[in-house]
Parts: sequence; structure tokens; C-alpha cells
Amino acid sequence: MDPIHLFDLAARQARWLSTSQAVIASNVSNANTPGYKTQTVQPFAEVLDRTQMQLASTNAAHLALDPAEEQKAVAKDDSPWETTESGNSVSIEQEMIKASDVNRAFSLNASLVKAFHGMLMASVRS
Amino acid sequence: MMDALQASLRIAGSGLAAQSARLRVISENMANAQSTGATPGADPYRRKTITFESELDKVSGMDVVAVKDVGTDPSAFQTEQDPGNPAADANGIVKLPNVNLITEMADMREANRSYEAGLQVFKQSRDLVSMTIDLLKSSS
Repeated sequence: MDPIHLFDLAARQARWLSTSQAVIASNVSNANTPGYKTQTVQPFAEVLDRTQMQLASTNAAHLALDPAEEQKAVAKDDSPWETTESGNSVSIEQEMIKASDVNRAFSLNASLVKAFHGMLMASVRS
Repeated sequence: MMDALQASLRIAGSGLAAQSARLRVISENMANAQSTGATPGADPYRRKTITFESELDKVSGMDVVAVKDVGTDPSAFQTEQDPGNPAADANGIVKLPNVNLITEMADMREANRSYEAGLQVFKQSRDLVSMTIDLLKSSS
């Protein structure tokens, strides 16, 4: 039987969602900063494709990959809703939509982990 | 490298601090909307302005916001013919501050809106943290 990577996957998504939340916080905080460009995070699927391949370390001298790989996924948003006269491209409405998406996904993620944990515990107890 | 959710609380906090500083400057301007000079012909209160800049927070690795500069508005003062005023010059003209209350009100509404948005993000980040902590509560 294949091992089930659900907890690992859920942890990765939670980390990605946390990074998204930090990026949203940064955008909203800089909503009135002249010249600030809206930032965005690469979609989860792309980040997952990029970070799934792990190099095996067979020697103590092998360097591990950066665990904060998600941090590098932050990029400039190419299609902001509007750019004001001061060169700022943050739209608070857009950020609020993104924030509610993050909230929904995080809540789903936490519920799934809880449910899966419940299943594991049920099989252990019986 | 700190936890991203903690970082977002920190970033949202920096935004709230910046908007409060802006509200302080706005209230200073509004309070001094009628402050003339003390001696005849002296310059009255000059409107203050505030600018923000984004700076890289070394701890979280993300962009926080900071107050760049509190400057003054170089635009011309309003003048009024009022010979009885102690600040009037030899021709009876008084210089009044270059504060426009409508502009200040509009600025205040914008600061208010940005503050609310920042507060919303702060609350939500806190909710995400508590969702994670709730995983530890026994589901039995």
C-alpha cells in the first residue's frame, strides 16, 4: 500500500496559505505608499510542482534545500485592477477578496486535518 | 525567518501604526485651521503633510510600511482683510493657514478606510492562528 501523504500535503498548503496571508497584509499595509506595486503568490499547484522533488542527502556534507521555498514564490502582480496617480497599484477590495479566499481554504484545510486525524485515531483505538 | 502568520500580524500592525500617524497629522492640521501668527504680519500655521514608504522588514522578509517624512505644504496662505486682528499687517491683511477643511476630511476618510482594512487583515490572521491551535483540542 502506498503511504498517504495527506498530512504533508496539508502542511504544505497551510504554509502556502500563511505566506499568501503575509503578502496580503503587506499589500494592505502599503495601500497608501507611493510607487508600491501589488505583490502576489504563485498558485499552489506551481509551488507544489517545484518543491516536490527533494534531493536525497546521503552524506552529512550534503546541503538541504531551503525549507522556506515558498518565500521565493512571491512575485509582482501583473494584472492589478487599477494604478493610482502616485504609482500605487493596491486595490483594497481585491485584497479583501483574496483574504476571504485564504480564510476559506485555511478553514477547509484545518477541518480536513482534523477529520483525517480522527480517522487515524479511530483505527488505532479499535 | 519567522512564521508567516506571525509576520502578517506584524505587517498589518505596521500599517495600523502608519495610518494612526497620518490621522495625528490630519487632526493637527484641522485643529490649527484658524491659527494665525502671534505678531503683526507673521506667518500663520503651515499645513503638514505625511508620506509613507515601504521598507523590507529584516525579521519577516516582507515589506512593512513606515512613515517616510512629515513635511510641510508649500502652497500659498489664504488672506483676509481684517484690520482688527492682532496678526494683521500694516494694510490690515491677515494671513490664514493654508489648511482646507474639505481636503483634510477627505484625507481622514481615506485613512479611516485603510485603517479598517488593516484591522480586518489583523483579525483574520489571528483567526487563522486560532484555527491551527484548535487542531490540538481533543476531538474525542
